[in-house]
Amino acid sequence: MIEVNNLTVRYGGVMALDDISLIIPDRKVISIVGANGAGKSTTINAISGMVNITRGGIFLDGKSLHLPPHKIVQKGVVQVPEGRKIFSSITVKENLILGAYQMNDKHRIEENMKKVFEQYPVLEARQNQPGGTLSGGEQQMLAIARALMSEPNHLLLDEPSLGLAPMLVSGIFKMIQDLNKKGLTILLVEQNAQKALSIADFAYVFETGRMVSKGPGKEIAEDPIVKKAYLGIEE
Amino acid sequence: MELNILLQQIFNGISLGGVYALEAVGFGIIFNILKFSNFSHSGVVAISAYFGFFVSRYIYTHFLVTLIITTLAGGLIGVIIEKLIFRPIRLKGAPLTLFLVNSITAAMLVQQFFAATLGDDYYPYPVFMKQTSINIGNLTISKTYTLMLIISGLVLLLLTYVLKRTKVGIALRAASTDIRTPSLMGVNIDFVISVAFFIAGVLGGITGYLLGMTYSVDPFIGSMILKGIIAAIIGGMGSLGGGVIAGLLLGGAECLLIAEIGSSLTQIVIYSGIFVLLLIRPEGIAGKRYIIKA
Ligand SMILES: Nc1ncnc2c1ncn2[C@@H]1O[C@H](COP(=O)(O)OP(=O)(O)O)[C@@H](O)[C@H]1O
Ligand SMILES: [Mg+2]
Repeated sequence: MIEVNNLTVRYGGVMALDDISLIIPDRKVISIVGANGAGKSTTINAISGMVNITRGGIFLDGKSLHLPPHKIVQKGVVQVPEGRKIFSSITVKENLILGAYQMNDKHRIEENMKKVFEQYPVLEARQNQPGGTLSGGEQQMLAIARALMSEPNHLLLDEPSLGLAPMLVSGIFKMIQDLNKKGLTILLVEQNAQKALSIADFAYVFETGRMVSKGPGKEIAEDPIVKKAYLGIEE
Repeated sequence: MELNILLQQIFNGISLGGVYALEAVGFGIIFNILKFSNFSHSGVVAISAYFGFFVSRYIYTHFLVTLIITTLAGGLIGVIIEKLIFRPIRLKGAPLTLFLVNSITAAMLVQQFFAATLGDDYYPYPVFMKQTSINIGNLTISKTYTLMLIISGLVLLLLTYVLKRTKVGIALRAASTDIRTPSLMGVNIDFVISVAFFIAGVLGGITGYLLGMTYSVDPFIGSMILKGIIAAIIGGMGSLGGGVIAGLLLGGAECLLIAEIGSSLTQIVIYSGIFVLLLIRPEGIAGKRYIIKA
């Protein structure tokens, strides 16, 4: 379980997060929704140790997660960043090898690679191509597969559906649900609020760095005020 | 020019080009990951050249042993320079220009230090070999140049292996396109940067030793890496392979020209030629367009 307590993050003068608290219980899908600039990525990056925390704390199973980013990965908390961030000049396979950077057991890395290839055959077919040559959907697949290489227990997904064709979006959300069924705890950050809320056990709504609403995903999705004011969804 | 002399010159040129290639890669590997031109590389070369001299002259006169010791010392110096002058500003998020300034300052500091302390003398390496050349048919090939070529070749092969086949090598290549994201894969980027400086330092150590052995050592020996830097740029910044090819070509062209028109005119022709080349092909040999920021 990850707990975020009274988290405040400032970038210079910009207040990106203002006193945010949330809980990510084991084996659940938790979602953060909100418009562009609401502070969703900042929250995920704070958990991953990628931004300096101004105030507040983040805890994994009661222990402080105030560590350098690579140590947080060691604890099984792994982020799939916004925009996928595939390494474009190294091969698909090398991208996956990097995903398992913390593992030293060659045999297990091979096993994980095999599993990933079984799951996503297109990655196997393209394993020797530079990552930059993949399509958007394939890159998102690779980004998730790369994260899975380290056998995480918490997966933090930042806008996995961003920029994908509508046809592919459903596939990505299905993939996320499958991962959750296999026992992964998921934090899903999305501007595509309706889709995210439909699979979230619990959701938080952010607006310009503040939490404005929270509740079970389906309830949030049905709340007309939240819908209109914060999610930009008209009836 | 007679054929055998021509062949000899080409051989010498490629050997010298091998050293330029080492310089180009040592310079390029830091540019790739941190995106600034690391002139402090010349400092590593100079310190290593003196280090190699003192070790081989006064401690143990054996070519291979002292070469290896100097190489490791070069790697260590590279890491120390990073920790002393680059890491602190990196953690502060300083702009690239500051890295450039620090690297030039470090180069000058090393140069002036040696000029002030050891500048009155010049330091020839001990003669490691009884015979300085080998005869193949009617070709006379210098042993020093042969060693230069073999060592450069082996080192570049080893480096290729490290970059392609080891995890830290893959991380280094990944970090060259995006230095932030590898952390999310569990990569300790601070360590990877240290490795990059270690590799660059190792290359600088070998360069210093080979240059010192070939030309004797003076405080300005570090400035000889200018050719390697030019090779890196001609090769296409960001492409280590391009730098190697450009280094070999530059060395070859230089030696042929020296035989034909003498050494002082050669330098003028080469430096002018570089202007023309970059005017025609600003992206360099490898053909990738990189934005050179500093
Ligand atoms: N590196 C940064 N430097 C300065 N301001 C930033 C930086 N990253 C984000 N911000 C600002 O912080 C706020 C929250 O951004 P972000 O967390 O990226 O929002 P979201 O992911 O919800 O779109 C925005 O106002 C954004 O402009
Ligand atoms: Mg975002």
